[in-house]
Amino acid sequence: MEKFTKAFPSKPLKARTAKPWALAGVVGSGNLEVLLERAGASGTMECHVETSIPGYKSSWLAALADFATHYPAGGTKVTIHDQGAPPVLVNLRLRQAYDHLTGGDK
Amino acid sequence: MTRGPLFHEQTARQRIAALVDPGSFDELLPPPERITSPYLAQLGIPVSFDDGVVIGHAKIGGRKVYLAAQVGQFVGGAVGEIHGAKLTGLFKAAARDRTPCIVIVESGGVRLHEGSAGEIAIAETMRAIFECRAKKVPTIAVICSDIGAYGGMGILSTCCDFRVMTEHGRLGISGPIVIEKWMGKKAYDSSNRALVWKTSGGKTKYLLGDADSLVLDDAGAIREAISKLLGKSSAVSLKAVKARQAELAKRLKRFGQTEDADAVWKGMGVRDIEAASLASGPEFAAMAKREK
Amino acid sequence: MKKLSSRALLSQLFGTSAKGIAVEKSLVTGYASVGATRVCVIGTCNGTYVDNAAALHLAAQVIDCIEHHPKMPIVMLVDSAGQEPNRVAEMLGLASYFGHLLNCLELARRNGHKLITVATGQAVGGAFICYGMFGDRIYALDSARVGLMPVEAMSAVTKIPVPVLRKLSKTMPSLEFGAHPFALLGGVEAVWTLDDGVAAKLEKAIATASTEDNRAELGKKRGGRKLALDIRKKVLTESAR
Repeated sequence: MEKFTKAFPSKPLKARTAKPWALAGVVGSGNLEVLLERAGASGTMECHVETSIPGYKSSWLAALADFATHYPAGGTKVTIHDQGAPPVLVNLRLRQAYDHLTGGDK
Repeated sequence: MTRGPLFHEQTARQRIAALVDPGSFDELLPPPERITSPYLAQLGIPVSFDDGVVIGHAKIGGRKVYLAAQVGQFVGGAVGEIHGAKLTGLFKAAARDRTPCIVIVESGGVRLHEGSAGEIAIAETMRAIFECRAKKVPTIAVICSDIGAYGGMGILSTCCDFRVMTEHGRLGISGPIVIEKWMGKKAYDSSNRALVWKTSGGKTKYLLGDADSLVLDDAGAIREAISKLLGKSSAVSLKAVKARQAELAKRLKRFGQTEDADAVWKGMGVRDIEAASLASGPEFAAMAKREK
Repeated sequence: MKKLSSRALLSQLFGTSAKGIAVEKSLVTGYASVGATRVCVIGTCNGTYVDNAAALHLAAQVIDCIEHHPKMPIVMLVDSAGQEPNRVAEMLGLASYFGHLLNCLELARRNGHKLITVATGQAVGGAFICYGMFGDRIYALDSARVGLMPVEAMSAVTKIPVPVLRKLSKTMPSLEFGAHPFALLGGVEAVWTLDDGVAAKLEKAIATASTEDNRAELGKKRGGRKLALDIRKKVLTESAR
């Protein structure tokens, strides 16, 4: 297991969301779960990652930084439990969680 | 009727959302509470926010129900200390509030990584199920996925008043791989899917009377089957257990020496095995002259 | 420890009244006395596997007791390695046979029969869940092999090395196998030594049993299962809002 935490600057999330948190994905082989919550300072996206595959911290940080740049996610906390998901799935789950949080369940 | 996504392909959370009245689900001990397994953490295995079971209450057709859905992708939906305690608490809440309780089962049984704690939790949940039954509060197991209900969760499912299955669902104790290891490939080839499903699948279980309804692999069909059962309960009485004893003895006498699942189907009134194999759940149920 | 024959064990528990108990195909059924108390006895011995016929055989004894001996306590002895791992057993619905046995025991409980379990030998997996763990109060002999599975078997399935599991089991008794760690989890009320006092202990156990499931409380108090009770309570509290 590898664990790390990092906060990224991001534009503030819109003032009202459908609910205070959203979850996307499940923990399973090649998959991950992303919990996105309204929390913390309005200008940062605070990320906590736990992954079963060590050694990819820089890829994770790049993916999260990219997300924080492209989406207004300031004032959120992202917590990830990963079991070896490919990068494309990480991106998808982040977006799904974000959509659920901002737009309600699909 | 338009068909939604296949129920067995949905995740636990999607299944709940698809079954209940829109927006009515209120999760208990939701992910932000972060109640995760210390056993898995110690073993260096990824944990999950819900520990593999989503619980809460919702409405089905305007009627309040308690609901649990196991997450098969997460350690095979297996029951550890937290997972099991959530189930126990849910059934106890259902008994207290006299509110029906539905468990969407997708589990191989006890989570080995947590040892005996999960085993005791299943035994405790069984006691809680019978607390519901003592008050005639309906308890329903929905078994609709390939992972099915095995081990302690298979036994637990048989403690509920009713079992709703699809043909994808499997109900048993020992899984095919375990039996193959034990008895050899000749006795049970676990890669023979047709044989595996004829042994433990929804159709055979419905035919023998161990599943109460056999429905399409679709949330709407499952909701309809649940709705029909919500007002009912199954008696725990001397008359009922004596009738069941006679029925199970008869079943064993008729088929105890039978290796062939087709012979069981025939014996239970299925005339055309091939047509029955191809039939959908409800078509099969209509074809089978199930003995009452 | 020298392994007692099933007959010798029955004599130790039930004295001369043990002659009223039949032992057939490693299944134990009959009526006997514990001190001055008449009891119904069901159980397994010789580490046998429980199959469909065995479950029915035990259920029949429970039904007979309910019908003919109102409120008579039922003593459940467990020495079984598990459910019969067999395809035909599964095809015919072994889980439902176990469910039926549990239904019979539940009916007995509701009708005022106390249910006391003694794990005497192996008490493993489905065979413990299908009747023994359903008792009002559960006891185990110190020589009994109680639990989910030994560490070696757990390692074989989970692929976690034995030394890792052994080390963790020092702080997590749930991973350890045996009557004592199982008691720490609250899974058994007390561990008994098979000596001349055991019959008196059984008599007292019958007298003091109540139907309230106290295992989660015990597990927390004894420190072996720290979370279960609080999580259950949390569900009950949050759902009452």
